[in-house]
Amino acid sequence: MSKRILIIDDEPDIRETTQICLEIAKGWEVFTAGSCQEGLEKAIAEQPDAILLDVMMPDVDGLTTFAEIQANPATRQIPVILLTAMIQPSDQRRYNQMAIAGVITKPYDPTTLADQIIELLN
Amino acid sequence: MKSEFSDRLSPGQLNSFALLLHRMINRIRQSLELSEILKTTVAEVRIFLKTDRVKIYRFHPDGSGEVVAESIKDQCLPSLLGHNFPASDIPSEARDLFRTIGQRSIVDVANQQIGLSSFREGSAEVMGEMDYRPVDPCHVEYLVAMGVSSSLVVPIRDGENLWGLLVSHHSLSRHYSDQELQVVQLVADQVAVSIAQANLLHQTRLSAMQEATINRITALLHSTPEMQLQAALEQTIVALQGFGGRLYISLPNSQFPLHLPQHLFTVGSQPITPQDWQSEEATSQLAEFSPFEHHPHWQTWLEMEEPVNSSSGVWAIADLYQAVMPSDLVTALIEAQIRGVLILRLQYGSHRLGYLTVFRDEIDVERIWAGHPDRDHPQHLRPRQSFETWRELKRNQAHLWTLEDIELVKALGYHFAIAIHQSILYQQVCALNTDLAEDIQRRKQIEQEIIALNAQLEQRVRERTLELQQANVALVEQIAEREKTLLERQQAEASLQRLSHQQELILDSAGEGIYGIDPQGKITFANPAAAKMLGYSIDELIGHWMHMLVDHARPDGTPYLVSDNPILETVQAGVVHSGSNDLFHRRDGSSFPIEYVSSPIWEQNQIIGAVVVFKDITTRQQIERMKDEFISIVSHELRTPLTSIRSTLWLLANGWLDSHPEKSKRMLDIAFSNTNRLVRLVSDFLDIERIKFGKITMDKRTCNAGDLMIQSADTVRAMAEKAGIHLAIAPIDAELWADPDRIIQTFTNLLGNAIKFSPVGSTVWLTAEVLNNEPDHSIAPTTTRISEDQIANQPNLSSPTSILFKVQDQGIGIPSDKLETIFDRFQQVNISHARGHGGTGLGLMICRGIVHQHNGRIWAESQLGAGSTFYVLLPCQHPSQQHS
Repeated sequence: MSKRILIIDDEPDIRETTQICLEIAKGWEVFTAGSCQEGLEKAIAEQPDAILLDVMMPDVDGLTTFAEIQANPATRQIPVILLTAMIQPSDQRRYNQMAIAGVITKPYDPTTLADQIIELLN
Repeated sequence: MKSEFSDRLSPGQLNSFALLLHRMINRIRQSLELSEILKTTVAEVRIFLKTDRVKIYRFHPDGSGEVVAESIKDQCLPSLLGHNFPASDIPSEARDLFRTIGQRSIVDVANQQIGLSSFREGSAEVMGEMDYRPVDPCHVEYLVAMGVSSSLVVPIRDGENLWGLLVSHHSLSRHYSDQELQVVQLVADQVAVSIAQANLLHQTRLSAMQEATINRITALLHSTPEMQLQAALEQTIVALQGFGGRLYISLPNSQFPLHLPQHLFTVGSQPITPQDWQSEEATSQLAEFSPFEHHPHWQTWLEMEEPVNSSSGVWAIADLYQAVMPSDLVTALIEAQIRGVLILRLQYGSHRLGYLTVFRDEIDVERIWAGHPDRDHPQHLRPRQSFETWRELKRNQAHLWTLEDIELVKALGYHFAIAIHQSILYQQVCALNTDLAEDIQRRKQIEQEIIALNAQLEQRVRERTLELQQANVALVEQIAEREKTLLERQQAEASLQRLSHQQELILDSAGEGIYGIDPQGKITFANPAAAKMLGYSIDELIGHWMHMLVDHARPDGTPYLVSDNPILETVQAGVVHSGSNDLFHRRDGSSFPIEYVSSPIWEQNQIIGAVVVFKDITTRQQIERMKDEFISIVSHELRTPLTSIRSTLWLLANGWLDSHPEKSKRMLDIAFSNTNRLVRLVSDFLDIERIKFGKITMDKRTCNAGDLMIQSADTVRAMAEKAGIHLAIAPIDAELWADPDRIIQTFTNLLGNAIKFSPVGSTVWLTAEVLNNEPDHSIAPTTTRISEDQIANQPNLSSPTSILFKVQDQGIGIPSDKLETIFDRFQQVNISHARGHGGTGLGLMICRGIVHQHNGRIWAESQLGAGSTFYVLLPCQHPSQQHS
C-alpha cells in the first residue's frame, strides 16, 4: 500500500537516496526535511502516514524534534520511526521509553526498508 | 762543895760523906723511876744519918700529903708509908716558908728548940747559921705523938712548887750538924732534880700514852673503809676513864636529808630520857634515838655555860650536883648514875659537827690516913694525938676532870672532828662516787647497749648494704634490660614511625582515596586524596559514619541502605566488594562516580575494620562517554555514508533506475562521494591515532615557509573558488625545519575551515612573520579568552627565531567557550552542518598533533560574527641547533 512518508535527516545524500528508494521502488510519496523546523512544517502541512526521523542531527537533534512532534497536536498522532546509526544499549533504553513506532538502524537494508516501515506502523 | 764545908768535917767523915753522896747520886741517877729514886734516897740518907726513919713526904694539891718513901730502922718507929696527913698538920706558913725560901727545920724535942735556916739557891753556902728558937708546943706535941724526938725537914722544891719534904725522924734526941744538913740539902736538891726528871719522864710518858691513845683512837677513826666510830668512842671513854659516853654527830641539813637519823654512838651508860622529852621533830622515825642533844634545854644550857676554854668548846662538869643545869637534864643524868660530864663540841673549822660526851660515875676514893681526923678535935686547936692507920673510904665522889683529861678530850675531839669531817667528805665523795659509779654504771650500761645497738646497727647496715647491693645489681640489670627494651621499643617505635610515616606518605601520596572504617562503620582514617575528593578535611571525616557521609549510591543514584550497603557488608561479613560507577557524595551534596574496592581488615581471625580504596572515575566516565560518543560518532560517520552507498547501489543493482539515467548518474555520484567521505574519515582517524601515539614519523627537513604557504593555498583554491571566497596569501622567505607535507596538511585544514565558515565574498588570509625572541606572551590577544593551547603546551621555544603563521577569515566566528575545545575530536561548530560541508571533525585535532610534533603552538582567536584567526607558531631551527 502506498504510504506517505516524511524523512527528516540532516544528510542530503541520505534524504535523496532514501527518497528515491521509497518512491521508485515502492511508489510511495516521500517528503524530506533537513532540520527539525523544516520537518515540523512539513509534517503539519503534509500529514504523512509516518515520519522517519534521524536522531543524530546538528542543532536540534532527533529526540528533541520528536518531542516537538509530540508536543504539536497537529503532528502528535503521526507515528514516528527513528532512523539512526546510534544503537548503543543506552540509546536502546531511551528509545524504549519513547512513544515511537520503532527504530530502524542505518545503514538500512533497502530491500526491506518499506516492509519494515509497514510492519512498524501496524 | 769543897772548902768551908770540908773544913768542918773530919777527913774520915768527909770521905764517907763524899762516898755517900757519890753513891747516892749514882744510885739516884741509875734509875729514872721516881719511886726507885725515892726509895734509894731515903735508904741512903738514913744510912748516912743513922736515924730511925727517913721519909719523903709528898704534898697533894689540897695541902694534904702522903708519905711516898720511907726507910725505917728495925721498926723503931711505925711505918707511915702510904699514909696521908691532912694539910693542917703542916701549917701553911711553914709550907710557905718551905716553898719560898727553902727553909729547913731541925726540931729538937728535948730542948724544945727548932732551928730554921734558909737556903740560897745557887750557892752551897748555908745562908746563916741555924737559927734556933723555941719550938711551938703544938709542934712538939705532934712530934711526940708520933714518937719522934728529933726531926730534920728539908723541903723538896720542884721549881716554884713545894713538891714535898725530905724528913728524918729519930726517936732519940740527935743533933744535926751543918754538914749533915748540907748533905741532906744536896740530896734533897738531887731528889728535886730527879723529881723534875721523873716529872719530865712522867709527862713524857703521859704524853706518850696520850699520844698512843690518840693515835690508837685516831687510827680507828681513820681506818678505812669505815670509820670505826663506835670503837673509837669506846676507847675514848676508856682513855678518859668514863663509864659511858656519846658521840652525837649532827650535820647541816644540806648534807643529810632531814629524815635520816643523826648519827649517834653510845657507849655504856646513857642519860635516861623520859618520853615527854621527845621533840616534835623526832616523833615517828627517831623514836628510838633519844635526841638528848635536841633538847632545847641542852642547847641553851650549853650556850649559857662558859666552856672551860672559850675556843675549845669543852664543858667539864665534875660534879653534876653542883652544876648549874636545868633540873630535868640533871635528873636524866643523875638517874643514870652519871656524876660527871665532859662535853666536847666537835668542830671542824666553822662547821659544828656534834658533841662528844663522856660520863663519869661516882667513884670511891680510899685514903689511908695517919689518924682519924674525925675522932680528934679540930686540928688547929689541938695537935693530933693519934697516928693510927685509918682507912678512909669516901664513897660517891665525883671523879674530877684533870687538865690532862681535858687536853686529851680536846685532842681526841679534834681528831674526831677531822675524822668526821673527813668521813662526811668521804661519804660525800662516796656518795658522789656512788652516784658517779652509778652514773658510770649506767653509762657503761648505756655504752654497752649502744655498742650492742651499734653492733646490731652495723649488722643491719651490713645486711642492708648487702640487700642494697643486691638490689642495686638487680636494678642495674633491670635498668640494662629496660634500656635494652627501651632501645628496642624505640627502634620499634622508630621503625613503626617510619612505617607509619611511610604509610602516611603512601597514604598521603596515593592518588586514590583510601579510608578505613571500624566495625561500626565509623571512619578511622582517611588519606588526603579521599578527603579532597569528598570535599572534607581529614579531621572532619574521622569518627563519622561513613555511610552518612558519602551516601554511597548506585550508578542510577538510588542510595544504598544500611542493610544493603556493600561496604558495610564488607566490614560486617568480611566480603570483599568492588564496583564501578557507584556514586559517592561530596560535602556539598554533589555526587561523583567512583570505582571502589572494599576489603576487610583481619586481625587474628577477627574483622577489626575495612579499607575502602576508591577513585573518582568522573574523568574516566567522561572519557568513556567520550569514547562512547566517539564510537557513536564514528559509527554514525561511517554508517551515514554507507547508508547512501547501500541505497544507491541497491537501486542501481536492482535496475530501479534503468529508466532514469540521470538519476542513475546521480546515484553513482552520491555513491562515489560518500565512498570518498569514508576514505577521508578512515585516514583521518588513523592519523589521529598515530599522531596521538607518536607513531607518525615526521619527515622533517629544511623547507621554505613561503613554498609551504603557496602549496597549501593551491590545494584549497578550487574549494575557495567554489565557495566564492577570495584567498590572500602572503608567503615569506624563511626557512624552517619541518615535515612539509604535514605542514601543508595543517595549513590546508585551516584554510579549508576558514573557507567553510566564511560568507561568500569574504577573504581568507594566510600570512606569516618571523619572530626573533621568546614569543610566547608578546602576542596581544584579540579576544578575551586565550585557548589553553597557549598555556598548556609549552614546547621548547628557546630558539631565537620562529615563524608565526596566521589564517584569518571573516567567517561566523567561534564562541569563546569553544575556542579551546575546537581542537578536540569531533568538535564542530554546529551551524556549519547546515551548509552540508563534510568534514570529519578531526581536522583541528590533527593540526594540533602535527604542530606539537614540530614543537610549535597552535591556537585560535575569534570574535563572533567578525571572524576567526588561527595562529601556528613554528620554531625555525632544529632543536639541537638552538644552542649555537
